[in-house]
Amino acid sequence: MRQKTHPLLIAFAALTFAFLIGPLVIIIGTSLSETSYLTFPPEGLSLKWYENIFEISAFRRTMVTSFILAVGGTALSMAIGIPAAYAMARYRVQLPAFLGNIYVLPILIPEIVLGFSLMKSVAIGADFPIMAALFVGHALLVLPYCVRVVGASLNAFDFSIEEAAVSLGCPRWKAFFLVVLPNVRAGIIAGFILAFITSLNDVSISIFLTGPGVSTLPIQLLAHMEQFFDPTIAAVSVLLMFVTVGVMAIVERTLGLTFLTK
Amino acid sequence: MTVSLSLSDITAHYGSTKVLEDLNLHVGEGELVSLLGASGCGKTTTLRLVAGFLEPTTGTIKLGDRDLTRLPAHARNIGLVFQTYALFPHLTVRENVAFGLKQRGIGGAERTRRADAMIERVGLSAFADRHPANLSGGQRQRVALARALVIEPPLLMFDEPLSNLDAKLRVDMRVEIRRLQQANGTTALYVTHDQEEAFSISDRVAIMNAGQIMQLDTPEVLYSRPANAFVADFVGFENMIPMTAVSEAGDAVRAEMAGGTSIELPKSHFTVPSRDFILAARPEGLLVSAAGDGIPTTLGLRTYLGRAYQYQCETPAGEVKANGPLAQPFDSGANAVLIPQPEQCCLLSA
Amino acid sequence: MPRLRAWALSAPALLLVFLFLGLPVASTLATTFGDPAGPFSQYAAFFESRFRMTVLWRTMEVALITTAVSLVVGFLTAWVVAKAPPRAKSLLIIAAVFPLLTGVVVRSFAWLIILGKEGILNDTLLALGIIETPLQMLYTEFSVIIAMIYLFVPLMILTLVGVLEGIPEDLTDAAASLGATPAAAFRQVVLPMAVPGLIVGSVLVFTGSFTSYATPQLLGGERQMMMGTFLYQRAMVTFDWVGASTIAAIMVVVTLTTVLVMSKMARRLNPVAG
Repeated sequence: MRQKTHPLLIAFAALTFAFLIGPLVIIIGTSLSETSYLTFPPEGLSLKWYENIFEISAFRRTMVTSFILAVGGTALSMAIGIPAAYAMARYRVQLPAFLGNIYVLPILIPEIVLGFSLMKSVAIGADFPIMAALFVGHALLVLPYCVRVVGASLNAFDFSIEEAAVSLGCPRWKAFFLVVLPNVRAGIIAGFILAFITSLNDVSISIFLTGPGVSTLPIQLLAHMEQFFDPTIAAVSVLLMFVTVGVMAIVERTLGLTFLTK
Repeated sequence: MTVSLSLSDITAHYGSTKVLEDLNLHVGEGELVSLLGASGCGKTTTLRLVAGFLEPTTGTIKLGDRDLTRLPAHARNIGLVFQTYALFPHLTVRENVAFGLKQRGIGGAERTRRADAMIERVGLSAFADRHPANLSGGQRQRVALARALVIEPPLLMFDEPLSNLDAKLRVDMRVEIRRLQQANGTTALYVTHDQEEAFSISDRVAIMNAGQIMQLDTPEVLYSRPANAFVADFVGFENMIPMTAVSEAGDAVRAEMAGGTSIELPKSHFTVPSRDFILAARPEGLLVSAAGDGIPTTLGLRTYLGRAYQYQCETPAGEVKANGPLAQPFDSGANAVLIPQPEQCCLLSA
Repeated sequence: MPRLRAWALSAPALLLVFLFLGLPVASTLATTFGDPAGPFSQYAAFFESRFRMTVLWRTMEVALITTAVSLVVGFLTAWVVAKAPPRAKSLLIIAAVFPLLTGVVVRSFAWLIILGKEGILNDTLLALGIIETPLQMLYTEFSVIIAMIYLFVPLMILTLVGVLEGIPEDLTDAAASLGATPAAAFRQVVLPMAVPGLIVGSVLVFTGSFTSYATPQLLGGERQMMMGTFLYQRAMVTFDWVGASTIAAIMVVVTLTTVLVMSKMARRLNPVAG
C-alpha cells in the first residue's frame, strides 16, 4: 500500500548485492575443484582440498592458536571490560565522560600502528613470549567491542532493579551477578561474538606479533598464499565462512541482526 | 473555499488483514468531524487513506468534486497535523512553516511574508528563527498547526494532535484549534482516542470499532442516546443489565431480569425497543436507595467520589456499579435497591 | 565511596589501555623526534622523499576513491534496503553482514582469483573475444581499489540503513502532505537529515582504507605500496624502526585529524542540535 521504490534503484541494489556475494560464491566454487589450480566454475567435484587443510600441520596448529586467542583474548577483555562498562553506566556522575573515549582508542589508533608498537615495546622491549604478546594484543583489540556493546545494554538497564535486590538483602556484589548480568546477557553474548570474530580475522596486529612456531590462521593463510596458490586456501576460506554463519546465527538469536545497523 | 469530504464504501487491507470494511463517511462543508476509538479501530488508517499515505482496496474518496482516491499524497492539498508534529528538525520555525509554500512555487519575499503572518497568528513571532528542538511541546504543536494552515488547505486533518501535551495545555490547544478551524471555515477531520477531547471540539463524532463506524452523531446524541451496546459502553454506560418486557400496566412496562426479579419502567421516560432489551446505566443512573421499586442488591465496597459515593453492588444480574447520595452512606453488606434514573440510563435492543 | 568503587572497577581496563596502547604508541611517536639531526628531521626526510610521498599520495587517493564510491553505492543500496518490506530487508541485511564478518584475508583472496592473469575475469573476457591477451589487473591501483570497495561497501550500507531508518517516516509523510514530490522530499528533508550519518560512514571507510594492510599487501604488492604495507616493510624487512615509526606517526595524525575534524563537522551539521 506504500510508495514503491524506483525500479532502477532496485536494479542497482541487486547489482551491489551480486558484487558482495559473488566473490564469496566463487571461493566456494574453487574450493570444490579437483584441479590443483584455482578455477571457477570448478572442474570436477572433490572435497580433497578440505582434507588437505588437515594434512598441513601449520593449518592445524594455527587454527587451534587462533581459536584459543579469540576465546581467551575476548574472555580477558570481557573480564575487565564489563566492570568498566558497568562503572560508566552506573556511576555516570562520578566518572569523567572521556573515559568512554579511552576504551575505544584501540579502534581509533590504526591497528597496524598498534601492532607495530606492541611488537617494539612489548614483544621485544618487555620481552613478552609470543603467545603472551598475542593475548594482550587481541584483548586490547577487542576491548572497544566489549565495553561498547555491553555498555549499550547497561545503559538501557534500569539500575533501580539492582537497588531493589540490595534493599531485599542481597549484597551488592551478589546483586551484580544475580540481577545485572542476567539482564544484559544479550549484550554480553553479542559483544563476545563480535569480539571473537574480530580477533579471529585479525591481521594487522598479529602480523607483527607472530613468530617462530607460533602463528594465527589468517597469517598462515597469507604465508601459504605466497608459496602455493591452490584450492586449499579456498577451502580454509570456506571453513571461515562457516564460522561467520555460526556467529551470525548467534547474533540473530540474541540481539537480532538489525542490531548491526545501529 | 469550503468543500465537503466523502468516503464511499472504503475497504482497506494491511497485507491480508482487513482493517476497514465498507466505510462511509461524509464531512460537510466547514464541519469538524472526529473519529473516536481505541487503538487499532481504524481511525488512523482512515486518516492516512485520505492523506494518501495508504491506498484503499476498494471505494472512493472525494473532496468536493475532486476524486482523491488515486492521487499521490503530495498532490492532494490537505493540511495535516501529526501526533509527533513531524516538524523538520533541520529547519527553523519559519522554514518549517514556509515549506509548503515553497513546494507551491511561492517566491522568497511573498513566502516569508505569509509564513511570518501565520507564525504571528499562532503567537510564535519571537521564535521564528529557532529550531524545533529548542521549543516546548506546546510551541511545537503551534508550529505544526501553522505549517498545516498556511497552505490554506480545503481540508485539515489532525492525528491525535494533543496526545503529547500535558493536561492543561491540551485543553488550551483544543480551544485554539477549534477557533482557527472555525475562523477559516475549513472542513476538518480529527482523530483521537480521548472522548472528552472529541466531544468538546467536534460538530459530530464517529465512534469506531474494528474498522467500522458504530455511530456517527453529535456529541449530545452520542452521550445521551447511544445506538448500540458498544457506543453505550464507550460513553460510560458501564452497567448493562439484560431484561425482558413481561407485561404492560397503564403507563409503565414491567421488565424481568435474571433471577426473576422485576421492576417497573415508566413509559413517560423509557421506550422499550424490543421484548428482550438491555438496560444500560451509568453508575449515577442507578440510585442506591433504602427502599422503593428497584433492583434488589447487596452493597459491597464503597468509594468516595466527591459528588457521591460509589458502591460495588451484588444483584441478581451480576455485579454493577451504582452511586448513592452523600447524605445517606450505606455500610458494606447492607441490603438496598437500585432505582434507574431515566436521564442517565438508556434502553438498547438486545 | 561510589567514586572509589567506580574507579576501582574501571582500573583494569584503563591499565590495559595505558600499558599496552598508551605507552607503546607514545614510545613509537617519541622515537620519531629522537633523531640527532633535529626533532623533525625524520619528517623532513619523509616529505622530501619522492618515493615516500608517492606512497602517501597513493594511499590518500585510494582511500578517497574508495570512500567516494562506497558512499554513493552504499547510500543508494541502503535506500533500497531501508524501504524494503521487512522480510526482504532482513535478508538484505544478512547479505551485507555476511561479507562484513568474513575476514579481510578471505575477501581479498577472492579478488586474487577474479583479477589474476589466469583469473576468472581475464578468462571470461578472452572467451568473449573482448581482449586477445590477458590484462594485467593484479598489483595495480585498480585491483587495490576494487578490493577495498568490496571491503567497505557492506560497512557503509549497514551504517546508512541505520541512518535512514532513524529518519521518522512521519517527516517524509509531512513533506508529502505539504505538497513535496518524492524527489523534493528527498532533497529537502531526507538528504539534509542524513548528512551526519554520511559523514560518519565516510570517516569509517576513509580511516579503514587509509590504514589497511592485508588488502594492499595481497592485491597491490610491492608495486602499489601503501602506508600500511610500507610501515610493515620498513619495520620487518629493512628493520628501519625509526622510519616505520615516522610512517606510523603520519598515519595516526591523518586518521585522528580526520576523525576529529569530521565528527566536529557532523555535529555542526546535525539538524537535531539546531
